[in-house]
Amino acid sequence: MFLDIDKKDPKRIAAVEDTGKQITYGELCDLSNEIVEAIPERSIIFCLCENTIGALSGYIGCLSHKIVPLLLAANTDQELLVKLIETYEPQFFWCPEEKELPLQTEMIIQKAGYKLVKTEYKQYEINEKLSLLLTTSGSTGSPKLVRYKYGNLEANAKNVAKVFGWTEMERPVIDLPMQYTMGLNVINTHLYVGATLIMTTQNLVSRDFWNYIEEQKATNFTGVPFSYEVFFKLRFNKKEFPTLTTLAEGGGKLTDTMFMDLVEYSQKYNKRFCATFGTTETSARLAYLDPDRAKEKCGSIGKAIPEGELFLIDKNGQEIQEMEAEGEMGYRGPNVTMGYGICKEDLKLGDVWKGEYRTGDIARRDSEGFYYIIGRISRFLKIYGHRISLDQCEKLIKTKFAIDCACTGNDKCLKIFITEEQYSKDILKYLSEKLHLMQNVMKISVIEAIPRNESGKIKYAVLNKMEL
Amino acid sequence: MSNLEKYQKIFMDLFQVEKEELNESFSFAGEERWDSVTHLSLIAELEDTFGIMFETDDILNYGSYLNGINILKKYGVEF
Repeated sequence: MFLDIDKKDPKRIAAVEDTGKQITYGELCDLSNEIVEAIPERSIIFCLCENTIGALSGYIGCLSHKIVPLLLAANTDQELLVKLIETYEPQFFWCPEEKELPLQTEMIIQKAGYKLVKTEYKQYEINEKLSLLLTTSGSTGSPKLVRYKYGNLEANAKNVAKVFGWTEMERPVIDLPMQYTMGLNVINTHLYVGATLIMTTQNLVSRDFWNYIEEQKATNFTGVPFSYEVFFKLRFNKKEFPTLTTLAEGGGKLTDTMFMDLVEYSQKYNKRFCATFGTTETSARLAYLDPDRAKEKCGSIGKAIPEGELFLIDKNGQEIQEMEAEGEMGYRGPNVTMGYGICKEDLKLGDVWKGEYRTGDIARRDSEGFYYIIGRISRFLKIYGHRISLDQCEKLIKTKFAIDCACTGNDKCLKIFITEEQYSKDILKYLSEKLHLMQNVMKISVIEAIPRNESGKIKYAVLNKMEL
Repeated sequence: MSNLEKYQKIFMDLFQVEKEELNESFSFAGEERWDSVTHLSLIAELEDTFGIMFETDDILNYGSYLNGINILKKYGVEF
């Protein structure tokens, strides 16, 4: 089975939920197999996830039986869900029992608060290597998917578990959503070693969440920068959390101040602070910073994980040989996925990236080979861990309002330039709904005309200099 | 602007709602837009506006529009 979970101690607890339910490895194997019994191999299934045993079991069942799931949030925007359904024609759904789906379905089985239903779509040909699908910019409403191959998740689970030194004694907090690459990575790396997942659907800013991780004696926590903003805002840097031995970070860049605050907190209470870096395209993590070096390497993402290799590329597309350098960051390793898909036919495609992926980040490598992210080539922002495609934002505005616009910004603020003031309020409202962003991280500015060069390309450098 | 008006404005801006919607049922549990990100912004906004610093428990228990007023009173904000 997937990650050899049938070879773990069957009596050991694989996962606990905040409802009090728990499941052993033995039961998890049985449940996972039972759920997918009626699904033919190579079917496409949409798994609508929440961090519960039900969602987990369906995912494991699929990966163990050559069924290809697309993992989506249970509360995925309805419009996006419809678009994804029409694009990829899933033959099955695994979703919470109470979920109402926007299409005709036939009930197959109900287990662990979840239901398996069949749609009227026919199975179609997909690539034999295709193992899993994840969205890349789900937050901007695009149906673009990342295509995983068999071996990606397995290799990444093994290598990340190794670099962290995880054992079956770990009790990780599973608070990041499982359909999000970093959340899935925390799950996989711990199932790989036979540890116990402490799953929660609670919100980080609720009392229940923090009580639960204390009661459950959680041993490690993985957060995105926002999680640590909450941590500090709640003044938890004054609290010991005695069972918690590792704090890991990924999914965006911490400010230097927060990075050093975490180093300090960890030193004071004898914990490990592990900065990491990952992308959906590389099955999550590809780099890890040794916690013993964190203090002297503030802001670094460390070095490549085992079996992987990081490198820098210069402006001419050549790999840079000197140790101290800046360039576009690339990665080679067994966790590099096959490529993107934007339509049903793309699921027939084979391995396009062939083990090598350029992240689109600009990085610096110091004299000892430690990497630091210093910027981004591609037009993406990461606001509160959400990846926001600026091109997609422009497309959303243009499609909805039929006006000219340009989007730019930084990881704190999305800046929108338009030429017709009367749309300002509606645009903010529309984008905030579509992107799940609050309006206070967006700024809109009305200008005379969108600056363009002779070939009609928007001059973003000019816009970036404008004060909003 | 009175403290109540300031308080209402923070909610109206953050959640994009009209004043009439701010009542006893406006709460973390009942409002889809009130997620952890919004919650943190709300707390930061309230701290800035009223020049206070919440205790951990008050941040975690800040569950509704009305309850918030009682919490703020503890910090000497008069309504």
